[in-house]
Amino acid sequence: MAEAMRATVASLLKGIERYNPENLNNLERYVDMQANENTYDLEANLAVLKLYQFNPNLYQAQVTAVILLKALTNLPHSDFILCKCMIEPSRLMEEPVAKVLVLAHLLETANFNEFWITLMKDLDPLVEGIVGFEDSIRKFVCHVVASTYSTIRKDKLRQLLGNVTEAQASQWVSKYGWTEQLDGYVFIANQDEHIRTKNITEKISFDSVAAIMASGR
Amino acid sequence: MSWASATEAEDVYTGYYGYGEYDMSHTGDPRQDMEYERHYATQSYIVPEVIKNFLIYFQKVINQRDLLEIQNSYENGFNKLTDRFFKDTAWPEAEVVAPIVGNDKRFLILYKELYYRHVYARLSGGPSISQRFDSYFNYCDLFNYILNADGPVPLELPDQWLWDIVDEFIYQFQSFSIFRHKSLSKKTEDEIELLKVNPKMWNVHSVLNVLHSLVDKSNINKQLEVYTSGGDPDSVAGEFGQHSLYKMLGYFSLVGLLRLHSLLGDYYQALKALENIDFNKKSLYSRVPACQITTFYFVGFAYMMMRRYQDAIRTLSNILLYIQRTKTVFQNKTQLYDQISKTNDQMYTLLSMCLVLYPMRIDESVHSHLREKYQDKMNKMQRGEMAEFEACFAFACPKFLSPVPPNYELENTAKSKEPFTLQLNVFTDEVSQQIQVPTIRSYLKLYTTLPIAKLAAFMDMSDDELCTQLMCFKHKMKNLVWTKGTSGLDGEFQSASEVDFYIDKDMIHIADTKVARRYGDFFIRQFHKFDEIMRSLKAT
Repeated sequence: MAEAMRATVASLLKGIERYNPENLNNLERYVDMQANENTYDLEANLAVLKLYQFNPNLYQAQVTAVILLKALTNLPHSDFILCKCMIEPSRLMEEPVAKVLVLAHLLETANFNEFWITLMKDLDPLVEGIVGFEDSIRKFVCHVVASTYSTIRKDKLRQLLGNVTEAQASQWVSKYGWTEQLDGYVFIANQDEHIRTKNITEKISFDSVAAIMASGR
Repeated sequence: MSWASATEAEDVYTGYYGYGEYDMSHTGDPRQDMEYERHYATQSYIVPEVIKNFLIYFQKVINQRDLLEIQNSYENGFNKLTDRFFKDTAWPEAEVVAPIVGNDKRFLILYKELYYRHVYARLSGGPSISQRFDSYFNYCDLFNYILNADGPVPLELPDQWLWDIVDEFIYQFQSFSIFRHKSLSKKTEDEIELLKVNPKMWNVHSVLNVLHSLVDKSNINKQLEVYTSGGDPDSVAGEFGQHSLYKMLGYFSLVGLLRLHSLLGDYYQALKALENIDFNKKSLYSRVPACQITTFYFVGFAYMMMRRYQDAIRTLSNILLYIQRTKTVFQNKTQLYDQISKTNDQMYTLLSMCLVLYPMRIDESVHSHLREKYQDKMNKMQRGEMAEFEACFAFACPKFLSPVPPNYELENTAKSKEPFTLQLNVFTDEVSQQIQVPTIRSYLKLYTTLPIAKLAAFMDMSDDELCTQLMCFKHKMKNLVWTKGTSGLDGEFQSASEVDFYIDKDMIHIADTKVARRYGDFFIRQFHKFDEIMRSLKAT
C-alpha cells in the first residue's frame, strides 16, 4: 500500500503543489501507512512538517511524533535533525514530541542501555504503532558497533541490542557476517585494514615542475 | 494562491494585482501621503538635466537590447549618479520620470526596481510600509510581464542585474518578515492596521510561487541535466528557456530557493533545489561572483546543520579559496566588496566551527588565514566553551524567518527571535552531544594503543561510560559524504577526520594522521631566487 502511495505522493510534492494545505490529509495518512507497513519516505514527511510550519493551525502533535520516530529508524542518517529544524520550539516541549526528543538524545549519544530502559519504562503506544521500530534501532546499534569494535564481548552486544536473548543476538551476529568466538567475544572485522595511521607526504610529479625547470635555463 | 491564478490569466500585465483593495494614489501611510502631496503641490523637484539624459539613454539601450551599454548604465551610470545626487535621498519618483521616458511602462518597472532597491539600501530609516508594498507590486508587475507573455519577451538584461533582481526580491521578503515581527510598540496603529488588512503582502507562498514559476518556465532543471551529461541544453530548453533572460532567471531562482528554504530551516529542500547543479565542475552559469558566493555559503551552512562536516568543510574552503584569489577584482566595487567581505568572515567562522568538530586537513592558504584570525575562537570551542559556539553561530548564520504573520494583538517580542532560537538550539544540542569528542581525541593523539581502563581513568568515568563515549565519537565522526553525481544530498558514510581508532577487546588502537613537511613551495621559491641571482650575475 505504502509503496503504491509513494508515486502518488511524489506527484503531490512537485513544485508549488508541495505547499498546498489541501494535500495535508493525504500526506498524514501516508505517514500512518509508513508506520504500519515499515516503509519510509523522508521527503513526504518533511513536506508535512513544512505544511505545519506554514499553517500552524493545522499542526498535529501525534503525526509529528510519528514522523520523528520514523526519522530515528533511519539513523545514522541525520533525518531527525532535518525534521527538528522545522518544528516550533514551543511544540518541541509538548508531549509526546518531547519524549521522542529524549529518545533521540540517547541514541545520538550512543547511550543504548539507557535508551532501552527509557523505551521499556514508559513504552508509549505511539512506539508500538511503529512496526519494526526496535529492529531499526538495532540496525543502527550494529552500524555503530561495526565501526567501533574489532571484537566485542557477546554479553555486551546483547545489552546494546536491548537485552535480547542469546539466540536473537546470534541472529544479528550472523546477519552482519560477524563470528562468535569461543572466548565469549564476537569478532566483527579486522579494523586495522582501513583504520591505520596515514602519512601524508607531498608528491610532486615531474610534469608539475617541468615548466619551472624549463623557464630557468 | 493569487499568484497561481495570475500566471494562468491571459491579460495580466495590464494590472491584475487587485489594486482595488489597495489604492495607489492614497497609501494610507500618513508620512508617505504627506510626501506625496508636498511633491505634487509644489512641483519643486526638477529633474536635473544629467539625470534626464541618463534615463533617456538608459531607456534607449534597453529598448535596443544593447547588452554592453545596459550593463554599463546599470553598473556605472546608475551608481555614479547615485553617489552624486542621491547619496541618502531617493531617486525621483516614477511619476516624475514617466513623462521623461514617454510613459514607457516596461522601463518604469525596471526603473522602480532600482528605485526601491536604492530606498532599501541607502535611505536612513529604511523603507516605509507603503514603499514595501509598492516595491512588492512592482516585482509582481515585473514577473507578470516576463512570465505571462505569449512568447519570450523582447528584453535582455545583464546576468548581474538578473541575479540582483532575484536576490533583492528574497532580501525584501526577508526584510518584510523581520519588520512584521518587530516590536509592535514601535509601530503606529495605522501601520498595524495596514499589515493586518494586507496579509497577502510579501506572502511566503507568492515568493515561492515566483521562484518556482521562473524555474518551470525556463526548463532550467532539464537544461542542467542535459548540460551535465555533455549535451546541448538548448535541445530541451523550450521556447522560453533558450533565451538568456529566462535561462538565467531560472538558474538564479534555484539559488533563490536554496536561500529561501535555508531561511525557513528546511535544509533538505534547500539542497534539493540545486540537485542538478554540478558544483565540482566549472559551470557555464557561474559567471556572477555574488551568486557563486551565496550558493556556497548556504550549501556550506546546510551541510553543517546536517552534520555533514566533511562536505561543509570542502564547500566552504573551496569558495574561500576562490574569494582569496579573486579579491582584487571586487575591490573597486565598494558595495559588492562590503557584502562579500561580510560573507567571507561568516564563512571563515563556519569553517572554524566545522573544523573544531571535525578536524581535517584543508587548503594551506585558507588554513593559514584561519590560524591567524580565528585561532583564539577555535581554542575556546575546542575547550568546549558553549558560549563561543553560540556567538560564532549567531554571527555566521543566515537571518532565519517565520513564514507566518505574528499575532498583531499580542505584544510578544520573544516570538520574533524564535526562528533563530530554534536553529541555534538544534545546533547547540548537536554540539553538546559531542562535547567530549575533542577531549577524547586529544588523549588518543598521544598513543598508538591505549587500554580502555586507562583512558577511562583519564576521563574520570567508568569503562562502560567511556565505551559509550567512544561509540558516540564514532557515530558523530562518520558522516555522509558526497562522492559523485550532481545531487548534494547523496553521499556515503565516511570518516576522514584526523584521529581514528577501533576497540579490540580491552585495547583501543589508534590511527593518527601524520603530515610530513611540505617542501614543494619552498623548493620553487628557492629555485626562482637562484634563477634571479643567475640573471643578475649574467647581466653584470
